[in-house]
Amino acid sequence: MSRFRTSRRRFLRGMMQGSGLVCVGLPALELFSPRLAHAGEAFPRRFGMFFWGNGNRPDRWLPDGEGDGDAWALSEELAPLANVKEKLCVVSGMSVKVDNISPHWSGAAGLLTGRQVNGDDDSWTVHNETIDQRIAAEIGGHTLYRSLEIGIGSSSIFSYSGPNAPLSGESDPLTFYARLFGDTFREPGEEGVVDPALGFRRSVLDAVMGDIQRLQGELGQADRERLEQHLDGVRELELRLARLEEDPPDYESCARPGEPLAKYPDVEGRPQLSAKSRVMADMLAMALACDQTRVFHFHFTPPLYRGLFQNVSDDHHNLTHNEPGDQPEVHEITVQVMEEFAYLCEALDAVPEGDGTLLDHTLVMAASEVSEGRTHDLNDIPLVFAGGDTFKRDHHYRSYTQDNVSQAMLSVLRAMGVNATSYGEDEAMATDSLSAIEV
Amino acid sequence: MRSTSTLLLLLSLLGCKDKGADSAAPVSARGAAPAAQPPAPALRRLTRSQYDNAVSDLFGDGLVLPAKLEPDAEVEGLLSVGAATNAVSAYGVELYEDAAFLIAEQVFSDAERWGALVPCTPEADDDADCAAAFAESIGQAAWRRPLDADEVDTIAGVIASIGAAAGDFNTGAMYGLAAVLQSPSFLYRVEHGSTDGDLRPLTDWELASRLSFLLWNSVPDAELLDAAAAGELATAAGLEAQARRMLADPHASDGVRNLFDEIFHLYELDGISKDPAVFTHASPDLIDSAREETLRLMEWLVLEEDADFRDLMTSRDTFVDRRLAALYGVAAPVEGGFGLVTLSPEDGRRGLLGHASFLMLEAHAASSSATLRGIFIRDKLLCQTIPAPPADVDTSIPEADASSPTLRERLQTHLEDPTCASCHQLTDLVGLGLENFDGIGRWRDIENGATIDPSGTIDGTDFADAWSLGEAVSNHDAYGPCLTEHLYQYATGHPVAEGEEDLVDWLALGFSENSHSLQELMVDVIVSDGFRNTGAIQ
Repeated sequence: MSRFRTSRRRFLRGMMQGSGLVCVGLPALELFSPRLAHAGEAFPRRFGMFFWGNGNRPDRWLPDGEGDGDAWALSEELAPLANVKEKLCVVSGMSVKVDNISPHWSGAAGLLTGRQVNGDDDSWTVHNETIDQRIAAEIGGHTLYRSLEIGIGSSSIFSYSGPNAPLSGESDPLTFYARLFGDTFREPGEEGVVDPALGFRRSVLDAVMGDIQRLQGELGQADRERLEQHLDGVRELELRLARLEEDPPDYESCARPGEPLAKYPDVEGRPQLSAKSRVMADMLAMALACDQTRVFHFHFTPPLYRGLFQNVSDDHHNLTHNEPGDQPEVHEITVQVMEEFAYLCEALDAVPEGDGTLLDHTLVMAASEVSEGRTHDLNDIPLVFAGGDTFKRDHHYRSYTQDNVSQAMLSVLRAMGVNATSYGEDEAMATDSLSAIEV
Repeated sequence: MRSTSTLLLLLSLLGCKDKGADSAAPVSARGAAPAAQPPAPALRRLTRSQYDNAVSDLFGDGLVLPAKLEPDAEVEGLLSVGAATNAVSAYGVELYEDAAFLIAEQVFSDAERWGALVPCTPEADDDADCAAAFAESIGQAAWRRPLDADEVDTIAGVIASIGAAAGDFNTGAMYGLAAVLQSPSFLYRVEHGSTDGDLRPLTDWELASRLSFLLWNSVPDAELLDAAAAGELATAAGLEAQARRMLADPHASDGVRNLFDEIFHLYELDGISKDPAVFTHASPDLIDSAREETLRLMEWLVLEEDADFRDLMTSRDTFVDRRLAALYGVAAPVEGGFGLVTLSPEDGRRGLLGHASFLMLEAHAASSSATLRGIFIRDKLLCQTIPAPPADVDTSIPEADASSPTLRERLQTHLEDPTCASCHQLTDLVGLGLENFDGIGRWRDIENGATIDPSGTIDGTDFADAWSLGEAVSNHDAYGPCLTEHLYQYATGHPVAEGEEDLVDWLALGFSENSHSLQELMVDVIVSDGFRNTGAIQ
C-alpha cells in the first residue's frame, strides 16, 4: 500500500507539473491555516483501549492491598507496569452482569456494549456500538481520524460502530505507517504544497455520495442503514482530504516516527507479537501527539485468541482450558501481555506535553473478556486504567460485592465528556458511575 | 433403492432441524417444484475474492491488486451471508478509495488496457460526449447493468471537470474510473427485483450477476450481459443454457474453489499457528499447499469428473505437491508443483477427512482435536447443530499419563459427565475416528506408547477407522441435503428461510436422484423460483 500511495502521488505530481494549482469548482478552502486544537484546552482529551483475549490468572493478578500509593502493591501479573504505577488505577472484583450464554462473546459484549450478544451462539452481533466507538462519536470529530483500530494478534477485533457494523484492526505496521505518516503527513511547520489530487479526489467522493443516496431511496430499512454507515465513511474521508489541505496542528512533540520493517514473519511458528506491538505503540503515540486521532482501540489479541506465545507449549486459548493445575503457562502469557501494555503506557508517557506527558492527557483502559479463561468467569473481570486526569492515580479499588462493571464504564464515558445517564441494559445497566475511582 | 433413500433423505432433512421423524409418506419421484417465498432482498457487498476477480475480468490479468480491503466476515457460517449483512467501516471506505486509484492508475498507465477501455477519441479536455460514452461503457461492465441518465451525467461530470482542470481528458477519465469503482453499484450486488409484491422477480441484469457470481465468483461476461439485454434470462431454458455454458468455461474453477473455500472455512487456514517443535513438518508453505490440495480436488471432482459428490469422502485420488507428498508419505509428483496421485489402502487416508487442510484447521497448535473435527463433520458436512459448551464449566481434559495415553482415554470425562456428554458424544466419538492423524494431518499409529483405537459409531453406522468413517459420512442421510442447503445459501446470500424449506428439500431430492452431481444441482438451484425471485422490500 505504501508503494501505491507513493506512486500515486508521484504520478499526480508529475502530471500536474506546469499546470499550477487548479480549482474544479470545489468550495474555497482556507489554505495553510493550522488545524486548531480542541478549543479551550491546551491539550486534547484522549481515550484508548488496550484489549487482550482469554483473561488472566486471577490469584496472580490481584494486587496486594487497596487504596493509594504505598497502600497497594503490584501483583506478579501487573509487575511489568512498575514504571507507570503512579499513573495507574486498578479496578478489581467487579462483574460483567450478563448471562454467560456464549463463551467469550457474552463477556466481551457485556463489558464493551453493556448488553448480551445480539443473537444466538451460532450467529450473533452486538446490540449497540462498543464503548470506544461511543466515545469516538463524542470526541473523534476534530481530527483526521475519528478513531484508529489496531489488531496485533489478529485484524479481527471486538469493536463495533453499531449492530452488524464490525471494525477491523490494522495488523500490518508498514500499512499503518503509510496511512498515518506517508506522503500526506507533514510535521508542524514543515513546508507543503497543496496537492491538486486532493481536490480531485473530493469531487470523486461527491459523485460517490450522490450514488449512495440515489441507491438508498430504493432500499429497505436494513440496507438503508448499512449504506448510511458507508456514507458516514465517505463523509469522514472527504473531511480528511479537506483537512489535509490545511496546515497540521502545532504540537511541539509531534514528529514523524521511524519506519517499521516491511514484514514481521512468524519465528518458530510464533507471531512476533511483541515486536509488532511495540512498533505499533510507538507510531500510535505519535499519531496522538500529532493529533491525528483522539481515540484508539489497541486490540492486542481478540477474545478466544488461538495464537502461540513465546515460551509456552500450546496456543493461548487451548492452554486456558487444558493446562492443568495452576496454569503457569497461562500466567506466563498474562505477564507477556502486560509487558506490552506497559510498553504502550511508557511510549505515551515518554512524549512530553506541557508540564506533563501524553499519557497524562490520555485515559487508557486495559481489559479482557473473562477473568479465569478456564471457566470463562465473568466475575473479577480484569480492568486497569492508566493515565488521564479524571481517575485516581496510583490507586487500587476492589469491590467485595461483585458490583456491576458497567459502573466503571459509565465513569469512563463521563470522563470523556459523554453526557450519559446510564451504561448497559437489564442487569448490566448502571445509572451510577463508580465514584470511588473518580477524582 | 431410490424410494428408500428418498424417504431417508426426507426424514434427515427434517432431522437436521430436529423436527422429528414421523413425517409423511415417501414420494418415489420428486414431482413439481414446491412454491418458494424468499426473504426480503439485501445488498451483497463483493467479497474480497469477488472484488479481485471482477478487476481481473474488467481490466485484464496482471494488475497489482489491493493489499488490503475491508475484511469479509462470516455470518451463519458463510462469508456470502456476512456480505449481505454487515456494513462497511470507515476504514473500509478508505481502503476502497485506495484500491480504486491503485487500479485506475495502473489501467491508465497501460496504453493497451486504456485503449481498450476508452470508446472514443476526445476532442477537448472536457469533451462531454466522450465522457458520457466512457461512463456508459465502463459503467455497464462494472455495474453489471446499463446506467441511467443521472448516473451517466454524474460520472461524465467528474471526467469533464477534472479533464478541464488538469488539462487532459484522459486524466479526467482516470478519475471517472476511480468513481465507478467506488460506487455502491460496483461494490454491492443489488438484487431487489422488478415489481412490487411479496414475490419479486429479479431483473434480467440482477439475474445475470447472481448467475455469474455463483458460477464464476465474478462479474458477467459480455455474452451473459447480451443474453440479459435480449431478455433470454427470463425463462428457465434461457437461464439453464447460460448456466451450462458457464459451467463449461474455465472461469467455473474460480466459482467452485470459492464455494468450498467458504463452506469448509478453508480461508481460516490463513494465520493459524502450528508449533514446529511439535510438528516438525509444519510451515506456512505447508498450510498453503494443504488448502490448495482441497480446492484442486473440488475443481477436479466437480468440473472435470462431474463425480458423485459422495466421492469427496472416499476418493483415493488427490492432488499433492512435494510438501504434501512428504507429509502423506507418498511419492512426490515428477513434474514439480501439484500432481494427481492415487492413495492406496495401506496409506489409511482417503477423501476430505484425510486432507491436511481439514485436519490442521480442526486441531490445536500443538495437538489434534477430536472435538473440533467432530464438530466439523456434524456442522459442515451434515448440517447438524452442536451447541457451544456451557460457559461456566471447567472444560479441561487431563494430561497424558500411563493410565490415559491416548486422547480417547483423556476425553472420558467429557463423554461421561452428564453436563458434557450430550454434545461431546456427538462430536468426540466421531472425531476420535481421525486420531490416526495428528494436528497437521500426519499419520500415526501410536500415541504416548499406546495403539490408537480409531473405531466408533456415527448415528447408527459403525466405522473401524478414518477410511470407513469417510464412507459412513458419505452415506449419511444428511450428507446430500446438507450440501444442498450450503449451496442454496451461498447462491442466495441468506440462510434458508421458512418459505424456502420445501424448495430446498426438493432440491436435495433432485441431488440424490441425479447421482449427486453438483453441476446438476447448481443448474437445478439456478432455475428454481428461490434463485429467480426475492421477497418484499422491508
